[in-house]
Amino acid sequence: MIKIEKRNDVPTTLYFLTPFIAIFLTIIGGGIIFYFLGFNPIEALKFFFVTPISNLYGFSELLLKATPLCLIAIGLSFCFKSNNWNIGAEGQLTFGAIVGGGVALLFYDQEGFYILPTIIIAGALGGMFFALIPAVLKTYFNTNEILVSLMLVYVSKLLLDYLVVGPWSNPEGFNFPETRQFSNSARMPLLFEGLRIHAGIFLALLAVMLSWFVLYKTYLGFQIKVSGLSLKTAKYAGFKGKTMILVVFMISGACAGLAGVGEITGPIGQLHRMISPDYGFTAIIVAFLGRLNPFGIIFASLIVALTYLGAETAQIFLQIPKYTGQVFQGMILFFLLASDYLLFFKIKILSLKKNDLRH
Amino acid sequence: MPTDLRVSNISKIYPGCIANDKVSLQFKSGKIYALLGENGAGKSTLVKILSGVISPDNGEVFLNEKSLKLNSPLDAKKNKIGMVFQHFNLFETLSVFENLSIDTNEDNKNLRVKINDILKKYNFSIDLDIPVLNLSAGQKQKVEIIRCLLRNPKVLIMDEPTSVLTEQETDELFISLKKFCDEGILIIYITHKLKEVLSLCDEVAVMRKGKVVSVSQTGDEKIETLANKMVGQKLAKIKKKNNNLKNKVEIFKVKHLNFFSNDPFETNLENINFSVKKGECLGIAGISGNGQNELFQILSGEIITSNTSIIFRNKEIAQLNPKQRREYLMAFSPEDRISQAAVPELKIYENVALNNFKSSNFFEKGLVNEKKIKEHSKKILTDFSVNTDNVELKSQFLSGGNLQKLILGRELITAPELLICYNPTWGLDVGAINYIHETLLKINDQEKSTILISTDTEELLKLSDRIAVIYKGKLSRIMPSEEVTPEKLGVLMGGGSIDKN
Repeated sequence: MIKIEKRNDVPTTLYFLTPFIAIFLTIIGGGIIFYFLGFNPIEALKFFFVTPISNLYGFSELLLKATPLCLIAIGLSFCFKSNNWNIGAEGQLTFGAIVGGGVALLFYDQEGFYILPTIIIAGALGGMFFALIPAVLKTYFNTNEILVSLMLVYVSKLLLDYLVVGPWSNPEGFNFPETRQFSNSARMPLLFEGLRIHAGIFLALLAVMLSWFVLYKTYLGFQIKVSGLSLKTAKYAGFKGKTMILVVFMISGACAGLAGVGEITGPIGQLHRMISPDYGFTAIIVAFLGRLNPFGIIFASLIVALTYLGAETAQIFLQIPKYTGQVFQGMILFFLLASDYLLFFKIKILSLKKNDLRH
Repeated sequence: MPTDLRVSNISKIYPGCIANDKVSLQFKSGKIYALLGENGAGKSTLVKILSGVISPDNGEVFLNEKSLKLNSPLDAKKNKIGMVFQHFNLFETLSVFENLSIDTNEDNKNLRVKINDILKKYNFSIDLDIPVLNLSAGQKQKVEIIRCLLRNPKVLIMDEPTSVLTEQETDELFISLKKFCDEGILIIYITHKLKEVLSLCDEVAVMRKGKVVSVSQTGDEKIETLANKMVGQKLAKIKKKNNNLKNKVEIFKVKHLNFFSNDPFETNLENINFSVKKGECLGIAGISGNGQNELFQILSGEIITSNTSIIFRNKEIAQLNPKQRREYLMAFSPEDRISQAAVPELKIYENVALNNFKSSNFFEKGLVNEKKIKEHSKKILTDFSVNTDNVELKSQFLSGGNLQKLILGRELITAPELLICYNPTWGLDVGAINYIHETLLKINDQEKSTILISTDTEELLKLSDRIAVIYKGKLSRIMPSEEVTPEKLGVLMGGGSIDKN
């Protein structure tokens, strides 16, 4: 017979160690998959995890991919910490990119220092607005924010589709589903000549610092923490529950919107259908792998960004589809949840001896 | 055949605590045995061993001189040891009969005949085909007892059976237990209520800190002698001094409190009106589940009801949330101290910050003032003798008594004009109970008022100036405590009436 019991106290060190265990198990699991696909597992893993960052360009690509992941995950951590399940960051990212991109298109033939900040603010507001929809529906109509935020992803993706094919498509673009190129003033400044890493990374770092401050040093952070641990206690303490739901969704949406703007004004430079390889969904894994801790999230975003790069390298060198990246992301989440389960619960195997069943 | 149950040298060690230390006891059928002790004395561990829930590290259990291997509750059942736990293991939405048929192999027809025989024999009146959720606590307990009786038990263990019963139901239970005993069932009765030991049991074993400290005939014992054995020290008696409340002003007044809920597990409240004077303790008695939860939450502001008027210090506060009510100097101590009044995963000082009133300056301009919170927490820990001075300790490591002291301390250090508490001593040991009772009396001495919602009649009689009973969401007449007796309370709590006209 098997019995599952909750552990009373989980050591903090172990709590922060399990993500590493999950990553280690993912690497082993990946090796096994590569072996059965007929590759030398060590070689393949090297292509996946080492080759992509073995030169400066690769390293810049890593930071480039980690930036949106980190930004979105920071925002999500506010929601998740307070028991609000915002699953629609991808939609908020897309909507932020639509609003920010719209502003960029307004200025497509102009230059000026004010253009980029305007786009960034517009993108953040766009994401914020889009996140407010599930939040308002939750607070005033008691809807389930998981469903609403998730379904809104498809709304914003289809809206983007419509815009780039229809009204916003490039008049000189031979009917390709994309907009005009943004002007130079609407692009994130590059940090180094020849590398794609851009100033958006500072936005991510700023978000990390600010979120640490808000979560650990302010009354809002305290309310978020208490509500996440016990809604009953939050009610008893008299926290304004509705306001808090709106605030965490707004923070989360703004971060996702910023990430969207960072992509279109950074490496992409225009709007088209594929502005995000599901960063908004992958960031959920990043948030949990980073233990909803701002600095943990930096680390987690780098690891998960590496799976994106690794998948691309593997596609080139091993001719396996780049979707293996998602397999790895899935494995990370799986092993993280599994080791968390073992961390928070203990499994007891009670021996049933044969003679117990007699009489 | 008479039954002879013997435990020999039983030891059970948990990390950091010896729950049972070489416990040896002997029980023989024809008598009712009491197992008496405070919380944490080891009685629950011992009965869990007897019922197969846990196995001992050392020692043996003998039934009629045959050594028993009790590895699971199933083994206990096979050996005819029946157990009725404090918390019922019944499926609320299934009928009584369905509940009883779950763990038998008998076909329904035979089973019904058997159950009806038991009902007739012991004069139980329970409708077998209504869902369990419609039964009173006493009836639910009877269902549990019937479940044991169906297996023709030799031993019946009752774990604090009267904690949820009215006085009448308790009397009925005692009559049944005596009948079982006459029929040769060995009864072990676990309790920390001294009166019950004297009125029901023949022999009493007292446990303290995992050891058996005394075994005696109840005829040789008095309440005081048993209490001393149980606690191990002379109890300082606290007595309610009679406050003269005639000339005191009303500080708190509730008018037309109505609450209607669609949730079948919540109780509707109907036209509740009362007032509290300065320095007064108003007791609200009742068996749990009669609307106390809802009443507490409305008084604290967790639930806001329309059309209710709550006047506190001449201000209408019915629409204010708990935090705003605190600003007017109200304080609240809910029943669920583990997951509502405090968060176990939070550190002590973080739990203290939950009662964040304006003048505390815990959060200045939205920022956490950790230093201030910690200083304040240290003061609470010393002023309310919580047995730690480490404010960084997670509150899950505090015992129930210390946690309750922390919570009361947190609520009281703001010098509130009114404290509303709900079962403040639930599940605590005698030492902690006394401390909390003394604290509550002290507040009244300082001209501060309290509303004490409690299911413990003894506590209510000790602390209250006036007492009302809540039954099915309605409040009885409010009576001065001098004219209230435990019997009267029992009648009202069970839905009866004491006004003869």
